[in-house]
Amino acid sequence: MEEFLKQFFDVGFMVDHFDEVLDGFWVTIQLSVISGILSLVWGLVLATLRQLPGKGFLPVRFVTITYIDVFRGVPLLLLILLIYGGIPSLDFLPESLRHPEFFGKKDNFWFGVLAITITYGAYMAEVYRAGIESVPGGQMEAARSLGMNHGQAMRNVILPQAVRKVIAPLLNDFIALTKDTTLVSVIALNEVVLVGNDIQSETFNSSALTLGALMFLALTLPLARLVDKLIAREQGRFTRGAPRVEAL
Amino acid sequence: MEGQGNSGGSMLSLRGVCKRFGELEVLRGVDLEVKKGEVVCVLGPSGSGKSTLLRCLNLLEPPEEGDIHLEERSICKGPGSGTGEQSWELDFVRQRVGIVFQQFNLFPHRTALQNVTMAQEKVLGRSSVEARKKGTELLERVGLADKLGEYPERLSGGQQQRVAIARALAMDPHVMLFDEVTSALDPELVKEVLDVMRELAEEGMTMIVVTHEIGFAKEVADRVIFMDDGLIVEEGPPSQLLDDPREERTKQFLGLVLGH
Repeated sequence: MEEFLKQFFDVGFMVDHFDEVLDGFWVTIQLSVISGILSLVWGLVLATLRQLPGKGFLPVRFVTITYIDVFRGVPLLLLILLIYGGIPSLDFLPESLRHPEFFGKKDNFWFGVLAITITYGAYMAEVYRAGIESVPGGQMEAARSLGMNHGQAMRNVILPQAVRKVIAPLLNDFIALTKDTTLVSVIALNEVVLVGNDIQSETFNSSALTLGALMFLALTLPLARLVDKLIAREQGRFTRGAPRVEAL
Repeated sequence: MEGQGNSGGSMLSLRGVCKRFGELEVLRGVDLEVKKGEVVCVLGPSGSGKSTLLRCLNLLEPPEEGDIHLEERSICKGPGSGTGEQSWELDFVRQRVGIVFQQFNLFPHRTALQNVTMAQEKVLGRSSVEARKKGTELLERVGLADKLGEYPERLSGGQQQRVAIARALAMDPHVMLFDEVTSALDPELVKEVLDVMRELAEEGMTMIVVTHEIGFAKEVADRVIFMDDGLIVEEGPPSQLLDDPREERTKQFLGLVLGH
């Protein structure tokens, strides 16, 4: 038992390596927040393109649906390796895109952001779609009958209601995204898992990785509770017999 | 068909309007004239095409065949034109035709006043001050001066429907369409909505009212239309059509509606 605790929960060891692991976790947080925001925006763009009406937009809808299907089906790890290994070799791209370095972050960080956004944008587009489709058809009709065009109706009437309904599932996706940022360690980004693993390799002690896990829990557990609360509030509306969006 | 005349020229004119949903023929060649200032009530059993007729008139369901003239201008691209999307007729129609729905369809994330101001600002480009002034006036007119800041969820059905009427009126429509606007209301709330509609009729608004309220039709309508199976079976002044219908189907329907 003592050996087990020393291997995984060596407090003194954790204290010694705390700053290193925290630096790694700070990279994880930066990666999560930037990719998370971009995925939220990109997903909304995709969901909106997918809802464009009429025959004229059929190609746009087709391309959007294909994109969503493909990138929900391709492993994120594979995509990270593909981008990291492939893009620098594309000579027609400008140097700044082949080896992007912005705000003091190197190319592996930005390639990670790109891969995560491509994948999670597709996931979140589906969440937004569920929200859009849950808004009763009469809302679009009412907006159109008042003279709004499709874009105005989406922006002012449909999306505000749809987004409010899917905040909880979007947050769930964000939690999953946060954990998936660890995959970017495969292209040598010094985030929390790579840092912990390096320490483990050097010292044969796993406590730094355990410490990383604890840091993750400190972030994800409150988020999970928040999701539960949001879901409960959403369901409360229905049990009161008013399946409508309450004013926030 | 009656001659052109009394209060004004033609507001709406329908010729052979047809609408199909797949195999189902909902409208099978409807001809109808509505003059400016006229109040027309449309009666008929469910599935007779009444609501579809209204939805054709503002191109929510563009007709497949036939022609509709609004203020003597064709709003259809002719037979087989199919969709009204992205055509100039759509803007022309939506700026002139207001509609109120059975299910209110208020925007739940906006207050009563915001429901009435949103399209004024986004579509007509009115300033928010202007839109609020107009919105406040209209909500006062429908008796909701004290509910400006309430969200639809906190309003009764009758109040919601009056907000919906104010919302449509805010766009300065030339014609108002009412699609069974009291059918989803509790009986004690019907009157407050009908009162608003009655006032509107007295002020000279051109109205087409799909309704089951025979009493309202009798009192307010200039003309009553009876529809069945996608066709206009009979039309005439309320006194004649309601009290002394010529057609057998009209008699049957009125017998069932008034019978109990």
